[in-house]
Amino acid sequence: MNEARADRVNKGWSATLAVLLIGTGGWIDRARGAPITFNTALPVAKGEFIAREQVVVNQSGDDPSGLDRDRRSQAAVTVLGYGATGRLALFGVLPYFDNELDVVVGGRRVTRSASGFGDLTLFGRYTLVQRDWPGRNFRVAPFAGVKAPTGDDDERDALGPLPPSVQLGSGSWDPLVGVVATYQTLDYQVDTQLSYQANNKANSFEAGDVARLDGSMQYRLWPQTLTTGLPDFLYGVIEANLVHQGKDRINGSTDPNSGGTRLFLTPGIQYVSKRWIVEGTVQIPVLQDLNGTALENDYIARFSIRFNF
Amino acid sequence: MKRHLIVPVLLLWNLATLAAGKQYALQVDGLACPFCAYGIEKKLGAIEGVVKLHVDIQQGRILVTMTKEAQLSEQTAREKVKDAGFTLRSFSRIAEGE
Repeated sequence: MNEARADRVNKGWSATLAVLLIGTGGWIDRARGAPITFNTALPVAKGEFIAREQVVVNQSGDDPSGLDRDRRSQAAVTVLGYGATGRLALFGVLPYFDNELDVVVGGRRVTRSASGFGDLTLFGRYTLVQRDWPGRNFRVAPFAGVKAPTGDDDERDALGPLPPSVQLGSGSWDPLVGVVATYQTLDYQVDTQLSYQANNKANSFEAGDVARLDGSMQYRLWPQTLTTGLPDFLYGVIEANLVHQGKDRINGSTDPNSGGTRLFLTPGIQYVSKRWIVEGTVQIPVLQDLNGTALENDYIARFSIRFNF
Repeated sequence: MKRHLIVPVLLLWNLATLAAGKQYALQVDGLACPFCAYGIEKKLGAIEGVVKLHVDIQQGRILVTMTKEAQLSEQTAREKVKDAGFTLRSFSRIAEGE
C-alpha cells in the first residue's frame, strides 16, 4: 500500500468512528421514509405493486496503478416489487448500463465501453417479525435471491475482450441472502441491512464475494408539526454503506489488485407523498481500504422516483 | 380568501356525508408515513359500498363512509388492514349525527 493510500485509509477509519458517533446521536435525538441506496426495505401491501426507477452514476478515477484509469458507469435501474401476501414480497431488479473505461494502452489513451441490460436480480423477502404501535412500527425480514446472468459477459472491442469492470453482466448465477430491519415512527425511520452475495465463476473469472452492512436514517423535516389528514413528508436522509469484496480469481489464481473494503457516507433528501416518492443522494467514500492497485471510487450519485400502483 | 372557502367546503363535505350512509372509525397501529398509508386506502377503498375515506396519520385513525345500503364488518376491516401490512387496534361505528 502506498503512503498516500495508507494516509487516506487512516482518515477513513477516523470517519468511520465519526459515522458511528453520528448514528448514536441520531438514536438519542428524535431521528428520521425508506432507504435510497438499498431496495430490500421497500414497503409493499398484499396484491399491490411498487416500482422504483433509479439513475445511478458511479465514477471511479483515483488510480494508484499509473495506468491513469478512469471508469464511469451510468445505470438506469428498474425495481419492481409485488406483495404476494401481507408478509411475503417478491422483487425484481434490472439495470441498464452505459459503462466506460479510459485507460492507457501501449502509450496511448483509449476508451473501452459497453451498453445494454445487465444482470437481473430476483429476491423474496419474508417479514418474520412485525410489531405495530400507534404511529410506529418495527419489522425484521430475511431475504434471499439470485442474480441471473442476463447481461452480456462477452463484449469485445478492437483491443479484444472487455475487462470484467466494463462488461454488462458477470455470466454467473450468484445467490444472495440477508436480513433487513426497520423501525419507523411518524418523525423518523431507521433501516439496517446485512447481506452477502456469493459470486460464482464464469469464463474463467470469478468476482470476489460481497458482504454489505447498510444503515439509513430518514428524519422528517417538513411538515415540522403534524396536523390532521395525510400531508406529504420531506425527509432529510443520512445513510452509511460498508461494503467488503473479496479478491477476484482469474483462471484459478487470486488477483492481488482486486477487492477490499469501502465505507460510504451518504447524505440525501426524500419527498414522500402517498402515490410517489422523489429522492436523491450522493455516496461519498470516506474509507477505501483496497487491495493492491484496485481502482478507488470518487462518488456514486443516485436519483430515483418510486410509485405505488 | 381561504376563510371564504371554508364554509362552502364544509357544506359540501356534510352534504356528501348526509347523502352517504354509515360511518366507521378504524384505529390502526403501525401507520407512520404517507407512502405506506396509500396501501391501506386502496385496500379499504376496494370494499363494496365505500364512498369516502379520510386518513388522519397523526392519530392513526381512518374514517370510512359507506353507502346507506352497505355496512362494514370488523372482520373485513381487520382483514384489509392486515393485508395492507398494519394492525387494527379498534373498530367502531359512528352514530349518525355525531
